[in-house]
Amino acid sequence: MIRIFQYECKRLLWNKFFFGILLILLFYGWQVLNGVTILGVSHTAPFSPWSFGDYLSRMIPLLWIGALFFLTFFTSQKAQRVTILTNATPVPIKQYTFARCAAAFAGTGLLCLACLIEAAVFYGQYFGWYRWGQLLFPALITFIPPLIFALGSGWLLGKYKSWLIYLWMLIPFLCMTLPLPNAFGIWNGSFFKEYPLSIETMDPSFTLPITVIIVQCILVILGIVLLVLDPRFLKKMAVK
Amino acid sequence: MKRIRLFFPELKRLLKSRLTWLIVLLTVISPITGLILYKPATASTMLSMYLANPAIAGGVVGGVLFGVLTVYELDRSNRSRVNVLMDAVVSPLSMALIRLTALIASALITLALTILIWLSISWWRIGSVFSGVDYVLAYVLMMGLALPLSILAAAAFYQFTRRLDLSFVLFAAFAGLSLTVWAGNWQLCWLNPCVWALSDDFSNFRIFRSVTYMRLTWLVALSGIWSLSYLCIRRYGKDLFRSLIWNVRRICRPIIALLLVICSGIAYAAQPMVDHSNPDQTVMSFYEVPYAQDVVCTNRSAQVLPDTAAGTVSGKAAYQFQNTSGTEQTIAFGINPGYTVSSVQANGVNIPFTVSDYQEYNEAMLETSIPAEEQVELVIEYRGFPQEDYNMSALQGSAEISKTYVCLQNASLSPRLMNVLPDEGMYPTTIEITLPDSMMVIPFGSGKAEILAKNNDGTATWQYESNGTGGILYAGDYIRENIETDGMTIEFYYGRRHQDVMESAGAVDAVKSVVAYCTEHYGTLSFGSGDTLKLIQSRVSGGGYATDGASLLDEADFTASNLGDGSKGTVAGEVMIHELVHQWWGLGNMFDSSDDTNPWSAEGLTVYTTYRIVKELYGESYAQENYVKQWQQEVDDYYLNYYVRHPEALEMLPSDKQLEITGNLSYVRQYCEMPLKILKAQQLVGGEEAMDQILHDLFNRELDPAYPYLTYQEFLDACGLTEEDLNLD
Repeated sequence: MIRIFQYECKRLLWNKFFFGILLILLFYGWQVLNGVTILGVSHTAPFSPWSFGDYLSRMIPLLWIGALFFLTFFTSQKAQRVTILTNATPVPIKQYTFARCAAAFAGTGLLCLACLIEAAVFYGQYFGWYRWGQLLFPALITFIPPLIFALGSGWLLGKYKSWLIYLWMLIPFLCMTLPLPNAFGIWNGSFFKEYPLSIETMDPSFTLPITVIIVQCILVILGIVLLVLDPRFLKKMAVK
Repeated sequence: MKRIRLFFPELKRLLKSRLTWLIVLLTVISPITGLILYKPATASTMLSMYLANPAIAGGVVGGVLFGVLTVYELDRSNRSRVNVLMDAVVSPLSMALIRLTALIASALITLALTILIWLSISWWRIGSVFSGVDYVLAYVLMMGLALPLSILAAAAFYQFTRRLDLSFVLFAAFAGLSLTVWAGNWQLCWLNPCVWALSDDFSNFRIFRSVTYMRLTWLVALSGIWSLSYLCIRRYGKDLFRSLIWNVRRICRPIIALLLVICSGIAYAAQPMVDHSNPDQTVMSFYEVPYAQDVVCTNRSAQVLPDTAAGTVSGKAAYQFQNTSGTEQTIAFGINPGYTVSSVQANGVNIPFTVSDYQEYNEAMLETSIPAEEQVELVIEYRGFPQEDYNMSALQGSAEISKTYVCLQNASLSPRLMNVLPDEGMYPTTIEITLPDSMMVIPFGSGKAEILAKNNDGTATWQYESNGTGGILYAGDYIRENIETDGMTIEFYYGRRHQDVMESAGAVDAVKSVVAYCTEHYGTLSFGSGDTLKLIQSRVSGGGYATDGASLLDEADFTASNLGDGSKGTVAGEVMIHELVHQWWGLGNMFDSSDDTNPWSAEGLTVYTTYRIVKELYGESYAQENYVKQWQQEVDDYYLNYYVRHPEALEMLPSDKQLEITGNLSYVRQYCEMPLKILKAQQLVGGEEAMDQILHDLFNRELDPAYPYLTYQEFLDACGLTEEDLNLD
């Protein structure tokens, strides 16, 4: 199992795509940090959890695309042509699926880590600020739910029809243009700009309203459920 | 020939694809997003709302769609695993070129369809101010050129990476940067040009030139990048570097690619649209140049020849100096950084001169030494394309020069004298300007322009007299209407295309009501030139200004869309109100303007009076919502700003970021904090009537000739208050 995971990690991470997207993310992230985050969000410091969260939410669309492209390694027509062979191996299909998803998650996690390190370097260089522990919770709550949901939903869609995964990549861009309810504010970046203003205290500490926590939890659960859901279920639904 | 032969089957194949037609269809309908979702042009003119926004949005959506189509099509043979066969039949280099041209051709077809389909819709929405030239230029430049740029970028990304996934991510990041971080930088926003307004009544060539320049710079840059990626097209199963080595064997290919990249770099760095004015707008070093000793200016004149087709200006300015110092003296002028000075002559002899690299407030400093003679005539010849201020680069369009509109301000009209005192307090000035005979020349000030001669080439030479070191001139296809009100004559100039809107809006009545309000509350105005005030409608500029005897009215004050805005009551035109009020409060002789950062300025009382007039005309709730609440919001934001609270953090930042953050410091304090303080004073002195009486007395006070300015202390004394009383909570 571990060897399969290691093999899949090598497939995903030791290739042009991973290094390419890493470079793109770092360039884009630096532009965001220098152009937007440096000004601070909603009267807070550039290194406040709010400004940091705003930076992260601006990175989500690219990370979302990256995560879904990782999945195309397993769901593309080319990959599906070798499914007959992999299914014939003694490894249970569910375990194999789990190893692959874990590899995709590890790849996405590394990309997220690169974004976080870049922000840490930026804060250190400009402000001599190194209290990174304060930013851990905003990073986890901002990155993990949408990316687990991206992997879960993308996995299911990709297994159902491989081209659907490409359409699914547009979702964060669509969210950015739509007036979403406040609970989905992390998805279009409005949460980090609007919520601290509504708290009406100076430099508010990082807190989340219950609706946002519920939405993020639902996303995590939904992502996991979609990961374990059999794609044949979707096909049956479509036939009905 | 083979490539041309293959182009048509490739185009035919492309046009047979259902995906292509889906993208064509989506692109054709995409301008609708500019009416609903994405509105980068914020001005309320009809052309901004119903032409600029749909065209820019169409460019963004169409560009993204064609980028996706490009990557998808380039990957087709690879995806279908026929690339080996394809490469055996046609060179992959030829095929890349054919595919690119076929995609660009399909984009052109899409653009043509979009222009045709949206013509009637735009005409219907824009109404009487619709212009075919603006329509075609807006769609071609703002939408059309986005498509080949996207195709070139996407194709280059694919040819470099030869991966669908990586190309998509690269393209998404490239488009995302243009739409977010680069959106305020007029040269970098390759997908969504920085267009904030289009004029309904006058021409828009200056902003179209700016967009064209940006697009062409990117077209050259992306052509260069595409050419580099062309060298990376995989050959004979080789990897990127081996293919590159193979492809560069024809030396012309890398040379063309590098030339294109270098040319785009030069075009970016040497752009002619915007100057390099100091971004720190608190620095006014040109006003601190020491005056030349024992030199006075007795007279000056200028002959100005705008080229309305090219948007350039050439001119000859002459200055009469009396130099009683007996030595050579250095004279300094402010000149538009876009102009080139061809010669400077003193008493008919060429003399050396320098133009500074340092620029400030849209001026460079021209310095020359006049000889030690008592009477010196200095003649400066200049020409060039007037540049706009770097600090306003996201709001370009004000330096419009065309057959229907010309605006030349101060150093753009003729070199502005910086360091010579006037003779007997006057700088007698004569300006001659030659323009198409359909244009009316309006000096911004008390001067009156008259036609000196009608020329055979369809132009007329106008002349007017004024007094000062600078000067502003408007010219265009104007209508003049004389308004008699409260013992004064207002010469109201507005664009001919705006006549219907002005009449429907009751603009004349609006002007009368503002003048009546101010006269009744503060007293009558007196002008140096026969009780005449000019009110000139400018091209949409987002604001206005005023001088002795003249105020500006922004075209956006009275638009067809404003007429339908019920919240504004029967009268629109808040910029007009503000600039008319400046005739009572402001204009240099009433407020000491030597310290630009002082919150007590002409703007505080003017904004307060504008609020009072708006309250009377539009009602209390409108005034409260659009004035008091906004002032309060701005002031709150200012004092809550992290860097205002922690100046030590500001000092850690690079200087350009510091300037960006502190840029609106004086704006908030003058335009928002001071009106709030005056409003608080109004409450403390007993209400509106009491405040009106105080302001009336201040306006009609006896002036001290040594220091005629109205100070904050005088205002406080008149109110019987102290500075602390007006501190805001």
